[in-house]
Amino acid sequence: MAENVHAPEQTLARDVRPGTAAVPVKLITADHLADEAIADLVEGFRKYPIWTRFAFHEIRQRFRRSVLGPFWLTLSMGIMVAAMGLVFSTLFHQDMSSTLPYIAVGLINWGLLTSCINEGTAVFIGNEAYIKNVPLPVSVHFFRMLARNVIIWGFNMAIYLVVLVWFRIVPDWQFLLFIPGFALFLVNAAWMGLAAGILSTRFRDIPQVIANVVQVIFFVTPVFWSPATLSSRPAFIEWNPLYHILELTRAPLLGHDIAPHSWLFALGLAAIGLAGTAYLYRRAYARIAYWV
Amino acid sequence: MAHISIKDLSVEFAIFGANARSLKNTVLAQATGGRVMAGARDIVAVRAIDKLNLEISDGDRIGLVGHNGSGKTTLLRVLAGIYKPVSGSVCIEGRVGTLLDPSAGMDPEATGIENIYLRGYILGMSKREIAAQIPDIAAFTDLGDFLELPMKIYSAGMQARLTFAISTALQHDILLIDEGIGAGDAAFQEKAQKRIEGLFARSSIVLLASHSDALIGRFCNRKVQMEQGRPIADLPLIPEPETMNGPA
Repeated sequence: MAENVHAPEQTLARDVRPGTAAVPVKLITADHLADEAIADLVEGFRKYPIWTRFAFHEIRQRFRRSVLGPFWLTLSMGIMVAAMGLVFSTLFHQDMSSTLPYIAVGLINWGLLTSCINEGTAVFIGNEAYIKNVPLPVSVHFFRMLARNVIIWGFNMAIYLVVLVWFRIVPDWQFLLFIPGFALFLVNAAWMGLAAGILSTRFRDIPQVIANVVQVIFFVTPVFWSPATLSSRPAFIEWNPLYHILELTRAPLLGHDIAPHSWLFALGLAAIGLAGTAYLYRRAYARIAYWV
Repeated sequence: MAHISIKDLSVEFAIFGANARSLKNTVLAQATGGRVMAGARDIVAVRAIDKLNLEISDGDRIGLVGHNGSGKTTLLRVLAGIYKPVSGSVCIEGRVGTLLDPSAGMDPEATGIENIYLRGYILGMSKREIAAQIPDIAAFTDLGDFLELPMKIYSAGMQARLTFAISTALQHDILLIDEGIGAGDAAFQEKAQKRIEGLFARSSIVLLASHSDALIGRFCNRKVQMEQGRPIADLPLIPEPETMNGPA
């Protein structure tokens, strides 16, 4: 209906409408797809109004009409922490006031790390309908998963506060190290989740493999048991990078120092992991919509 | 001024054999290497869009027709930036709005109002833009207090009306629509037609993939017939008079 004669008026009319003043030009080609992968991550991150809202919505939705709501997360974790704290302090004749906070902080942070990895395997597969029908950056679904798990972690941290009060732990200056420690911890959890997502989308055996590996690593890594009681540290602790990134968030919350080599391990792991994941994403990005 | 220029566009799907998607096969294929690899990986490439050329100008309302698997939806997905091409280029001038899945983002457990927001975010609207649309959507759907109730208790017709109302609130230069945009019962049809007209009038370019000749005859001024990933016919259509009266 708009012949060329009418075009000027049309353009004018559109220009008046907010948000459409400049007509964007987009070029879609088969070139530079690898570079678009990194742009997709940046664009996806900048869509935080969308992924934070959807993350909150998912959690609200999961507990809608339940009396406790999302505090069921807190309660479940609380029961787990209390049970393990009791069992271990009794079995190994350890002091509750040191065992229980250690287990609480360990389990809460470990939970965040492993849900990022386990749920990471489904970030693309599980969002097939969105990826194929909605023109959002693909990474939005990854960031949404990350946000959802950080929110759940927030609810679980209520247990930590209870533990602080119960055992009258007064946080000192080391507590401040939790901020950079947690940031580095999150960077590592993020690349692991994204890498798991990319590989799982292409190879459908990977989610099962990852679920099993994570399960085993839980027992191998000092999450609920402390290496402090061991006379010598076996290699699977000293060289276990997951132990070191866990220490970044655990030690400051318990008022302990973070060992310098834990920082090094975590930084090294983040550098290698980010580089490796960026490589994977650059290679896989253009095919994700086809693979899901 | 909105414009789409498609040059020699090709899109390929790699279809993994029933077993080729498992890790074992790739690992084995790489271990054996070379000659066996081609056979062991049995990946079949399907060309969904084959060297397609198409120029779409301001004012075009294109009805995309063709058999199932002729590449209509694939073409819309490429234009939306979802599928990446293997060769060729597409140059798009204008903001693209996509209605490929009319209910993407909606959640039956959430209330009508919540769903307006959820769907609105997925459509790329801001919170303020959505809030501005709510009175209009509420009036159009006639849902009244139902909007405060979970969508799962709605009848199918009510759900369809809500979905339709949100999707047709889009304000973009270019509109990509795949199939079902019509919605609701007979009494609703008249209102729905008006709303689609308004939506089309706000958009400079519309691409509508559909099997319904009636829908295309009603709203489109150009018909592109697809077959095996290529346009085999490109005809002008004379739209019915009502379409001309849109508030353009």
